[in-house]
Amino acid sequence: MWKWTCFMLMVFIGLRPLCAQDAADPALRSKIIALERVQKIQAVEAKDMKTLESMLDDAFQYVGPDGRLQSKADFMAFVHEADWLQYRLDALDVRVHQNTVIVTGLYQIKGVKRVKRLLNTGRFADTWLLKDGKWVLIASLFTPEP
Amino acid sequence: MKPIDFTRTVILLILLCSLGPQLAAQEAADAGTAATIRALEKEWTLAQSRNDNGALDLIFDNALVYLEYGKLVSKGDYLSRVRQNPPELDQVANGPMTVRLFGSTAIVEGTYMEKQLHSSHSQIKRWRFIDTWVYKKSGWVLVAAGASPITK
Repeated sequence: MWKWTCFMLMVFIGLRPLCAQDAADPALRSKIIALERVQKIQAVEAKDMKTLESMLDDAFQYVGPDGRLQSKADFMAFVHEADWLQYRLDALDVRVHQNTVIVTGLYQIKGVKRVKRLLNTGRFADTWLLKDGKWVLIASLFTPEP
Repeated sequence: MKPIDFTRTVILLILLCSLGPQLAAQEAADAGTAATIRALEKEWTLAQSRNDNGALDLIFDNALVYLEYGKLVSKGDYLSRVRQNPPELDQVANGPMTVRLFGSTAIVEGTYMEKQLHSSHSQIKRWRFIDTWVYKKSGWVLVAAGASPITK
């Protein structure tokens, strides 16, 4: 009886992480989509520098549709200096690799900066990393449509 | 007061002595990992120029996403495209790249030049890329990659 109880306990303990992983994946995907669709879009459109500051890792790198490399400070300055920005995301795909998540999708950015109109559409890839218990964006690439 | 200062000094010395080699070892490990990632980036370019799908299969994670000119390309699509292209029709030359390590994740940013050889003429394009590598059971694998044409 004691052996049987030990065996069942070991099976239960062994299966728990698998169940947790299965259950965590949809929840994690929802969380990441919320970070993309709600937090990121709202922070950019509302010029919420505090949210951007905490969402972007200090080592964040961004490659824009013109192939220019920007740092966290460059990206935040672009958002801050824009007169207004409208940001749309679509067809999001989330792929989880341990503590790293890759999000790809379609984007459209409209806006005005120093009286100059901005309009850009294409596809993007974001790399999110779980750092100190918090998801932060470490890299972002935007490619224009051909 | 003196015994406390002495104790503090001893603790500080012990901490410094124990942390020093650890920090040095960590730096050496990071440098080693960055070198491995750079070597894999070169291996990718080489394998592509030789249409070596076997090597590319090992470098790419099965869930790889590749972005190029607004298009989303899967691992299967990428390998199929390499298989169909004659070897060294397109020549790729890597430019400078930086590797940033985040534990078992690495971000590589850099540029490359692509010389596309057509039947009558050749065209040179410059691209800037961001690649994401993750350390898995089989080693470092490429999970996401993308490039934007440098226009400015």
